[in-house]
Amino acid sequence: MKKAKPQDLFDLLAAFDQPSESTVTSSRLPTVLHDAVRVAVALGMDTTANDATNQALRERVEAFALHLALEEHFREHPDTRPSLAQVALAAARLDGDPLGEDPELVAQAADEIIERWPDATPDDVLIYASALARHGKKRRAHTSAA
Amino acid sequence: MPRPNDRAVSVILDCEAVQALMSETHPKHQDALATIVSVASRRPGQRRPPRVIVPVAVRVESGWDRTQPGSALVSVISHAGDWPLTQTRADEATRLRLSTGVSVVDATVGQAAHESDKPVAIVTSDVGDMRRLADHIDGTVRVARI
Repeated sequence: MKKAKPQDLFDLLAAFDQPSESTVTSSRLPTVLHDAVRVAVALGMDTTANDATNQALRERVEAFALHLALEEHFREHPDTRPSLAQVALAAARLDGDPLGEDPELVAQAADEIIERWPDATPDDVLIYASALARHGKKRRAHTSAA
Repeated sequence: MPRPNDRAVSVILDCEAVQALMSETHPKHQDALATIVSVASRRPGQRRPPRVIVPVAVRVESGWDRTQPGSALVSVISHAGDWPLTQTRADEATRLRLSTGVSVVDATVGQAAHESDKPVAIVTSDVGDMRRLADHIDGTVRVARI
């Protein structure tokens, strides 16, 4: 088998919603997982165990491909990688968090939290920013995340 | 901070969001990428990442041809494929356009928001028109500025 390239995966992904033949395959499942899927299907999770398996695999492949596409992009264009503050601000705006209207506070929170916890997540930043807002710790110097 | 159940499960991109993603030189490229990085990161309480939707009229207006080089990233991002304009959707978009006075393309964005699982976030630079649309749609529809 030739070495797989990211583009091969992207091309297949683009065909996910096209009519396709099916391939019969076998896989070894832990018995307890097999039984849990059977019961979950009976309770309404999916129409069949086959649908449940397909859906789970599809979601996993799509999520992997998205991360792969982003990393490829950032490798080619390193200066386009968004900062922690930018991602936290975007998350706040998607979720209707009032912090989405306060980019300065989000940027401050990202600056402060990353000094203590370099692996901080966007959610960590938003929790920290909420605490800053509650305790009136917003600095006056102007810094923008947006 | 919003509870996990309030997190957006559908994210609709408007024309500028798509254009910003397609071009590394677009002034909002990094902000648009921040939105996608946020979408790609599974967050506490989320069963699956949000679905990213691009109505076909948005695709046409933003000049996104899936067959052209440079479209790979945005194609993978909207892996669910096109949001076709069927007869029923066209009728709904027409009603939205007549009741809000927004453009044809924006009306298709509103239609996608109307039909998508809620909460929905519309990623846009045109906050005013999108808020007007959101007011005419049942369920939680947020307008996320880039």
